[in-house]
Formats: sequence, structure tokens, C-alpha cells
Amino acid sequence: MAQIRQILESKGKDVFWVTPETSIEKALALMAEKGIGAVVVMQGETISGIFSERDFARKTLTIDGFQLALPVSAVMSKPVYFVKPDQSLEECMTIMTEKHIRHIPVMEAGKLIGIVSIRDVIKYLIADKNFEILELERFVSSQTQEGLP
Amino acid sequence: MTRVRDILAEKGNAIWTITSQTSVRDALAMMAEKKIGALAVVDTGSLVGMFSERDYARKVISIPNFSLDLPVEKLMTRRVFFAIPEQTMDECMAVMTQKNVRHLPVMDESILIGMISIGDVVKRTLFEMDNRIKDLEEYLWIHLI
Repeated sequence: MAQIRQILESKGKDVFWVTPETSIEKALALMAEKGIGAVVVMQGETISGIFSERDFARKTLTIDGFQLALPVSAVMSKPVYFVKPDQSLEECMTIMTEKHIRHIPVMEAGKLIGIVSIRDVIKYLIADKNFEILELERFVSSQTQEGLP
Repeated sequence: MTRVRDILAEKGNAIWTITSQTSVRDALAMMAEKKIGALAVVDTGSLVGMFSERDYARKVISIPNFSLDLPVEKLMTRRVFFAIPEQTMDECMAVMTQKNVRHLPVMDESILIGMISIGDVVKRTLFEMDNRIKDLEEYLWIHLI
């Protein structure tokens, strides 16, 4: 049974983070730059929360006076579920499914050593299966006035 | 071999849709209410795009004078990858991973008949893993008695 450790080995241990005071706008810019869906919110060495695209989408409507200049602490989620490197891929998938989350930080000896996303999980599950993606490319595309793809 | 139609049979084929003129505010409200991460954008019976949490998170910071009252057509993704009912779950996983999408509308001929998410796929995979372990346990039990 695959362990989280193996997923980190293939994806790397980069974790992108912000502080509770970082603005939502800056956090979103970092996420866009790195192509990720969530950032960990760190206060020194402690994880104070996690901010994801879902938090942004949901809380835009529920927070009074919502604006991008607000600190990420106003919209982040906590508590943060985490896993350890020796836990199984299956446990990780179970937590994601039951808690409805797409990102889980990985902790070892109290230290943040990586983060696993639901995409990392799927990628790992199909890693040894080769697909001719070209054959699977089925898409619809609508024309736009601005000529965007 | 699990196919998309098996997943739809279990989760249902409810499709939550909006039009390209629906406001971002209303789209987000619908997503929150239905507890989903994306909506199919349908104009007069045709699928013209998808609007997801990612579209919102990525594009809000690049649109000058952004307002929640803007129509989703300003943020939606127009090139929509979709699945067909006979497609296997593995194939869905490949498309989701490689094209970086978390939702695939399901089309039968050109009719939108459902939506499948990365969460549905993970849930199903877990279910099958569990069944395999249960089958294995039964097998061991039978052979131990």
C-alpha cells in the first residue's frame, strides 16, 4: 500500500505559505503564480490555517465588507487536517472525501514537510498507466467576441 | 471496470447550470447552496463554458474594476473538456490530471447528461479499494476455516 511519503517523493516537498496578515489578493496571486489551489497560513513555525480557492469562493458572500485587501486570516479555514508521511494513500483519500477537502499538509515531528493535493493523489493512482491523452481529448469550445481561446 | 455511467447511476445526474449572463454573485451563491465547485454554463441549450472556483480565484485579481455583478462570461472557461458515459474512471483521472480540471461534464451525443468531479472519482476508487480488501479478507477467511 502506497504511503504519503511516496507521493511527496514524486511531487516534491515545496509548500507555499503566507502569514495571517497577508492580503487575500497577495495570497491569490501566489496561488496563480504557482498553479496551486491552496496555501498554508503560517504564524512563525505554527500552522494557523489553510486558505483555498473554496474558502475564497464561499466566504466572498458571507463576510461583511468583503474585499481583496482583507487579511487571509479573515477567510482561512481551521482546524487544519494533516497527515504524516507514513500514513497510507487510502487514509489520505478517506480524509479528503469525508472532510470535503482537496489539500492536506504533511507533518513530520511537528514540522510541515509538504502538502498533498487531490490531484497529486489521482496522478499517483494512474502513474503506471499510460494514456494516449490525444485520443481522450474531447472538448467543446465556444467562440467569443474577444477571440479568447 | 468502472465507467462514467456507473458513477452517474450512483450519484445521480443532477446538473446545476447557469447562463453566461448569470452574475458571479449568483453563481457563487448557487455553488455554495449545492455544495459544489463548478457550474456548467448553458446558453439556449448549448454548453458554452464552465465556471469554477478556480476561474473565480484566478481571474478576479486580473480583471480591472471587478464586481460580483459582472456576468460569468467574463471569467468562465470556454474550452471545456468533457467525458462520455462509456469512458473509464482511469481515463477521467488522466484527463483531470493532464488538463488540470476538477470537473468533467458528461455528454451523450451533444446532450449534457451529468457532471463528474474529482471527488466522485476519489470516492469511487476508495469504495473499490475497500471492496477488494473485503473480497481478499473473505477469501482468506474461507481458506482458513
